[in-house]
Amino acid sequence: MPTDADAGLLEPVPGNAGVPQPVPPGRGPQPYLPLSTAETQNLRGQHAGFASRFTAFIVDCAVSVGVFMLILSAASFAASVLTGSSIHWSRASTWVVVAFFAWEFLYYEYFWTTSGKTPGMFLLGVQVVGQDGSSVGTRRGLLRTLAFPLSFLLLGLGFLGILLEHDRRALHDLIAGTAVVYCWDAQEARLRSLARGGGRKP
Amino acid sequence: MESIAQGVAQRVIDLVIEALDMNALIARIDLNIVLSRVDLDHLVHRIDLNQVLEQVDLNQIVDRIDMNKLLAQVDINQIVSRIDVESLVKNTDLGAIVVSSSGTLATEAVDLGRSHAVSMDDTIARWASRIRRNHAGRAQPPELPSTPEEP
Repeated sequence: MPTDADAGLLEPVPGNAGVPQPVPPGRGPQPYLPLSTAETQNLRGQHAGFASRFTAFIVDCAVSVGVFMLILSAASFAASVLTGSSIHWSRASTWVVVAFFAWEFLYYEYFWTTSGKTPGMFLLGVQVVGQDGSSVGTRRGLLRTLAFPLSFLLLGLGFLGILLEHDRRALHDLIAGTAVVYCWDAQEARLRSLARGGGRKP
Repeated sequence: MESIAQGVAQRVIDLVIEALDMNALIARIDLNIVLSRVDLDHLVHRIDLNQVLEQVDLNQIVDRIDMNKLLAQVDINQIVSRIDVESLVKNTDLGAIVVSSSGTLATEAVDLGRSHAVSMDDTIARWASRIRRNHAGRAQPPELPSTPEEP
């Protein structure tokens, strides 16, 4: 697994990840990564774009919902063992809804506060940092988690900043004073791809 | 008789050499003139460098080198920047070493996913940038240049 940088070492760089440069054809084995050398060199620390962040969010949804369902199943199983009667959870139950939102809050708050990246973000190689590149910290992590639903509640308009703003910050980023940056070593990945990319097409 | 003559000559030469002040003699020699008369190329051609190097104890020489001082004068960044790392990885076993040290199927999949996501980020950013430009254009149309139309 590629190593990720510590939050404190990252400095967000405004702008896009770079202009894609096609690899000239017919120059020996081609890497399978679609990124060029120029792109990989300066990727770390740049503001992450919509696709990376959205994919990370989808992964997080799957993970958090999956774990939540596991917890409910474990609780149901424990109840059936201890009391002899199993619990049937319903989506319409207020308790389940409250527990779900509480769980989601804990999930994001814990990961953003401690490491700046949720499992989905870790997978996609992006990380939440302070807008100055410092680590998120408890206060900003908490604030970001509280402001996160706001971006949804405004009919998703809170996310427009990722598409339109120069520094790709959503509404909850602006409120919490955070930014999301790439934290994976693309250059190392490209070297790995070159090393094993013999005969493959990009 | 001959041996006596040789002995005398030897003795005379020794006495002359002892009497000579070699330092004073060397000081009087203009080495530049001497060296200008020497065909150094011819001299170098006659030297068997392999034989000379065989007699040199390289370990002893290396031991006498202050590596820290030497490396302090070397600009490593400049050297590294001159290396084509990609062709090095492609053409040597270094690639296999890189793969064996860190490569797994999972890593490959993660690298691939991440790089595709970054490519999509770029594509989306370009679309957004184009839309923004168009929007700005509608709000305030740019002035057309009054250059004559080319045939």
